[in-house]
Amino acid sequence: MKFTVPIGPQHPALKEPISLRMTLEGEVIRDADIRLGYNHRGLEKLAEEKTWLQNIYVTERICGICSHSHATCYTQGVEKLMEIEPPKRGIYLRFLVAELERVHSHLLWLGVAGHEAGFDTFFMYTWRDREVVMDILEMVSGNRVHYAINTLGGVRRDIDDLQKKKILDSLAILRRRTEFYLKIGANEPSFVARIAGVGRLSKEDALALCAVGPTARASDIAQDVRKDDPYGMYAEVPFEVGTATTCDVLGRVVVRVKELMQSYNIIEFLLKNLPDGPVAVRAPRRAKPNEVVSRYEAPRGENIHYIRSNGTDKPERLKVRAPTLANYPATVVMLRNGFIADIPLIFAAIDPCICCAERTVTLVDGRSGQENVVLMSELRRRAQERWKKAPPKKDAVWPF
Amino acid sequence: MNDTEIIEKAKALLGDKALEFSHPALRRIFLKVDPNDLLKAVEVLKKDLGFAYLATVSGLDVGESFEIIYHFANAFSQLNLRTQVPKANPHVESICPVIPGAILYERELQDMFGLVVDHIPDPRPLVLPDGWPAGNYPLRKDWKYERPPEKIPGEKS
Repeated sequence: MKFTVPIGPQHPALKEPISLRMTLEGEVIRDADIRLGYNHRGLEKLAEEKTWLQNIYVTERICGICSHSHATCYTQGVEKLMEIEPPKRGIYLRFLVAELERVHSHLLWLGVAGHEAGFDTFFMYTWRDREVVMDILEMVSGNRVHYAINTLGGVRRDIDDLQKKKILDSLAILRRRTEFYLKIGANEPSFVARIAGVGRLSKEDALALCAVGPTARASDIAQDVRKDDPYGMYAEVPFEVGTATTCDVLGRVVVRVKELMQSYNIIEFLLKNLPDGPVAVRAPRRAKPNEVVSRYEAPRGENIHYIRSNGTDKPERLKVRAPTLANYPATVVMLRNGFIADIPLIFAAIDPCICCAERTVTLVDGRSGQENVVLMSELRRRAQERWKKAPPKKDAVWPF
Repeated sequence: MNDTEIIEKAKALLGDKALEFSHPALRRIFLKVDPNDLLKAVEVLKKDLGFAYLATVSGLDVGESFEIIYHFANAFSQLNLRTQVPKANPHVESICPVIPGAILYERELQDMFGLVVDHIPDPRPLVLPDGWPAGNYPLRKDWKYERPPEKIPGEKS
């Protein structure tokens, strides 16, 4: 007997409302189908009617969590079209904010992962610590969410020595806390056992389905735009690409914890080697007819913008590909042959934060066709119940 | 493997199928092929040059024809495979047999430009709503959005 379970699409807390239709046999997911477009805002068409400068603020509003990554990806592409080179201090500050954003995004994600695994203490810890980095971002840019620090030719704000010292002090706190998270797996075997082996995505599948970011890196693909195609000042910054070989949610947690540590190192490097000088140069209003492909490693994976200019002050075409879209085909594979109770965990693992809201799942009884609306809390309760019944995965080990 | 080596190897493998190469910046290669050679070219790029990762597919409306750009990347470089199909007969072959991850981008092309992707495994609309009027393709340059007149319930006529 097969059941069909629709998830979504209306989901107030999501950046991208999405409808998933699961075909179930008992508790096991046999197939998943994705329907997108509930939040299609026609942004690419809109961008063709705005000037180069206005479009920075349009692209910044593509996403609420990695807003800086879209704006930076767009800005560095347009700077190439306009043939201007931002000053070095401007570049360092731009990517300082980029790395701070990665820290805040990964801390947020770790909390969500802990929450979905039924480990709410972890959720409280990471979200409390996330406030530290949010405060830094507010101090540097003036805003907590849309930093609006990019402009064509550099950044809009400079930092002084006092701010620099404050960031370094806060960084010490974050580093200490993240080291504590590294030990959490060793002290909390039930958390490791809950996430190990869930949402498997083999290396072959990840390659074939063009997965990106931590999802690909957890399947042992050392793919990172910062390393493969260094933009900005990443060619001169020492850092490592964190990977994991377990191909499951555990691997995705490991990759993100490793990336947090790398990001702290990068931030420290940027602050200690911050060059003097201006932060921005003047940008022209028009760009010659040309085209550019701009790539950027956002917290969720590769972000790519294709921009074409036609000699006016507006783009001819702006194509945006956000990392979550690239991970959807891989998500279908991860869900297949998993349990219904693992849906929140697997879906959270690609970081679209679907799990923040209540009332998402409607269960359709295959025999009677009757639909029951199940609250997310109920689904979570079922997940925890299944966990109580299932024996802990004996061979799961915390890799730190 | 650097950019020049990739271009040389691609030239040797694709022969006269490769219509045009350009190398505007470091780690950016543009290559143009005929739409009939598209699948063959993608296969060569994947098997012999290691471009297994498709970042996205961009469509452009360039007057009388559509330009489609397949953005590939590997650990060494980034390659953009370009092809052009006439607006009068907008058919392009699906590359899903070689790169299964291309499915969502091809569906988006069909929605936004009215291109027909032949042999696509799943031709349903991707981003446009269910009740979207047929023949409206938003990213074509001649398409303009007209806001329907606002109706306020209980309004005096």
